[in-house]
Amino acid sequence: MTKALEITNLTTRVSGYTILKDLSLSVEQNELRVLLGPNGAGKTTLIDMITGRYKPNAGKIAFYGKDITGKSPDIIFREGISRKFQVPNLYETLSIFDNVMLSLKGKRTVMQNLLRRTTGEEVDRIWEVLELVHLAERAADPADSLSHGERQWLELGMMVASSPKLLLFDEPTTGMTEHGKLQTADLIVKIAEHHTVLLVEHDMHIVRRIAKKVSVLHQGQMLAEGTLDEIVHNEMVQQVYLGKGGDTVAA
Amino acid sequence: MAKSAQNKIQRQPFLPLWVIVIGSGVAAAIALYPLFGKAYIVALLGKFLCYAIFALSIDLIWGFAGILSLGQAVYFGTGAYFVALSLKISYATEHPTRYGGNIPDFMEWNGLTEVPGFMQPLIHLPFAVACALIIPTLLAFIFGVITFKRHIYGVYCAVITLAESIILQDFIIEYQAYTGGFNGITDFGHYSSTYFLWFILAITVLCFLVGRLLTHSRVGTILKSVRDNDVRAEFLGYNVANYRIFVFCFSAFLAATAGAMYGAWVGLVSFLDTGPVFSIEAVIWTAVGGRGTIIGAFVGTFLVNGAAFFLSGVLADFWQLIMGGLFIFVVLVMRDGIVGTLAKWLRRRRDGTISQMVEESDRQAADRQRDFQSGGGTKEPEEI
Amino acid sequence: MLSQMLATQFLTGLSIVAILILVALGLAVIFGIAGVINMAHGEFIMVGAYVAAVVGELGGNTFVALPAAFVVVGLLGLAVERGIIQFIYDRPLETLLATWGVGIALQVIIKLIFGSQLYYVAAPKILDGGVRVIGILPFPYYRIFLIILAIVLLILTFWVLYKTKFGLKVRTVRRNRNIAGCLGINTARVDMMIFVFGSGLAGVAGAALAPIKSVSPPMGFPYAVDAFMVLVLGGVGNLWGVAVGAGLIGEAETILAFLTNNVIAKLLVFLFIVIAIRVFPKGLFGYHERS
Repeated sequence: MTKALEITNLTTRVSGYTILKDLSLSVEQNELRVLLGPNGAGKTTLIDMITGRYKPNAGKIAFYGKDITGKSPDIIFREGISRKFQVPNLYETLSIFDNVMLSLKGKRTVMQNLLRRTTGEEVDRIWEVLELVHLAERAADPADSLSHGERQWLELGMMVASSPKLLLFDEPTTGMTEHGKLQTADLIVKIAEHHTVLLVEHDMHIVRRIAKKVSVLHQGQMLAEGTLDEIVHNEMVQQVYLGKGGDTVAA
Repeated sequence: MAKSAQNKIQRQPFLPLWVIVIGSGVAAAIALYPLFGKAYIVALLGKFLCYAIFALSIDLIWGFAGILSLGQAVYFGTGAYFVALSLKISYATEHPTRYGGNIPDFMEWNGLTEVPGFMQPLIHLPFAVACALIIPTLLAFIFGVITFKRHIYGVYCAVITLAESIILQDFIIEYQAYTGGFNGITDFGHYSSTYFLWFILAITVLCFLVGRLLTHSRVGTILKSVRDNDVRAEFLGYNVANYRIFVFCFSAFLAATAGAMYGAWVGLVSFLDTGPVFSIEAVIWTAVGGRGTIIGAFVGTFLVNGAAFFLSGVLADFWQLIMGGLFIFVVLVMRDGIVGTLAKWLRRRRDGTISQMVEESDRQAADRQRDFQSGGGTKEPEEI
Repeated sequence: MLSQMLATQFLTGLSIVAILILVALGLAVIFGIAGVINMAHGEFIMVGAYVAAVVGELGGNTFVALPAAFVVVGLLGLAVERGIIQFIYDRPLETLLATWGVGIALQVIIKLIFGSQLYYVAAPKILDGGVRVIGILPFPYYRIFLIILAIVLLILTFWVLYKTKFGLKVRTVRRNRNIAGCLGINTARVDMMIFVFGSGLAGVAGAALAPIKSVSPPMGFPYAVDAFMVLVLGGVGNLWGVAVGAGLIGEAETILAFLTNNVIAKLLVFLFIVIAIRVFPKGLFGYHERS
């Protein structure tokens, strides 16, 4: 079966620095893959490449066999890839309801939207998503009235609403409380039941809770891949992470 | 509780009742005024209506899409010039000058002996009107493709529109044989009848209704989303450049319509109608009325221009000082304009006073805090 | 001979380039660091010219007027920054509108104080006359002075931005505002100082221009637009942008105006700029931040 995401020999240089070096990675359909790596390893850059924010210098990105290297972000979204930013990117003055409405999968061109009204089916779907992220009561409030945790969840909701084939999460639990992080982790697992998910994460507690297969990035290259257990006992990974403090890596 | 939110979402009528009532009243007042009022006020009304459509065009791109154009008068003025030229050429053929020539006076003064070939078709008013509407829209399209497709907006775009408008002004002044130069185009059979005022009024109402239709639609929400966060919009699959180009062209079309009617009604068209000063003043009318509100463009236009007419004679230079202060005031203090501030106030009264809202908000926060501490399972995450 | 005429035009163009550098430098510094465009920049230049006129009436000459204008317009900039700009740094588009209002107000105030007649400011006697470089007509000493002044101000600005402690703070804020704040730099104060510095430069430009341009309330606006175009083309990343942008625009306008006319020259240069920013959206020397 075609892999959902197939990245081959991706190389990117920015201002003289090589951020990604000959990186190869593939994700199966319906997989939940966690992407680990220290700061500066290139995780966000990789997501930027996949979603079309920047063009790579070399290499290929294929989505279900289709070459999407270097295409613009709106085209890549329409192919079925949805992205969550590390810092929530929302429509501040629009209502929460509208934020979700605009994320719904559907027509995107000017002509198609000119005299379109939101269908009853779509309205139901919006409420469904709002219930999922516990924001139904606040639906009429503007997005900038939410707390940080709520903003993260709104963005999660927007991603779900877009019914994508592949979801890319960039450190979705940033800035949340312990409780919030665990809830987000559970929500992601729930979402991953029916979608392919690539998750960049730092917090080892979260990773331990949800990871099946893990890829570790270091200095723009793939350091190791495998189950969490295998990664944890991998010598190279231990070397890279050793002495960095934070969570213990031992199982 | 979800029900109340649901109600708030649904409660968005196409035209709120108060708009229909007050709007009809104002329209009726304007329509009836010529029957018993002073002629110079009638002239002003027609002019202000054209200005109002122009301000609406600015509200669409600025208030809704977040594009600040400091040279929107390029489209207004071009529309005005096409119509004025057409009327002037027609008028000249029937009213020869004292030297016997039946070409526009400014052409004669500059040594032309007949209307230049490329301008002759303008003698047909329908053709001129078509040019007046289509060519500015086309110009806007080209501009949009050049700048928006390259994600050039914000301050850079504003500065470029400013330069564009100055260049057009310079061109009009320089090539005076074809445009009437510094003096502009005057003395032609302009339309000043009551019927034409009604025509202008009808078009104005139509434009505002279409504007409301557009902003009330899905496209309107998308434009606002592009204004708020164009990165997010792009990553949600919207071709941001296309939306900007669309609204920019539509705005130019409205401005051109306003200009065309203006050219026919006022009887004097000059380079000032295409320049940056006029463009920026129109932005302030919109800001005073309330940007992003559609009806604010009308309110602001009539208010500021009305005040200018009655006060500038009395106050002379001080009026300019007040105008300058108005720019600063609208940006620093009254950001939502008159209609915007009013709408906020009304919403507050409907949803409860501020202190009530604060109490409600505190109570909800306390609820969430309590649930969190008791380890409740299904409440939303929050910041401590 | 055509070559001789073109060479003369090139030389004249150099003095136009110098003027463009003078008027654009202050704006570039402010826009490049604080991200705001002062639409009253033309009026700041105009006030500088009036300072020169007043200095002239009091018996001084240009060499006195230049620093005087720097101080006066710098203080004016301080007032505008503290009174208006400091509240709206996060809304650059609205800064355009607010400062346009300041410009209108300044024109009116100057008109009320000085009247709307034209003032003529004389160049310093020492700079009267000219030197024959190419062809028959002498190239005025004052224009040479302007070219030298432009170079001096460029170097001075470079020195302030790259060789002083203040400049280090400014460049840090430019690179990464948040980190600069974390490092203890008072970014609000930096913005203020930069606005004052840029305004002062505008004043100097006005005082320098006074001898070659009749001084009146609306004289400044065309220079402001020229300055904007220099910034759009050259970019605000570094001072090369100002120099190269001014150089290209100044020479192109002069030579094209010689070949066609002023208005067509301006149009062609404008089209050139619009095409250029398609390739370089942030200007030729634009600064791309890695977010």
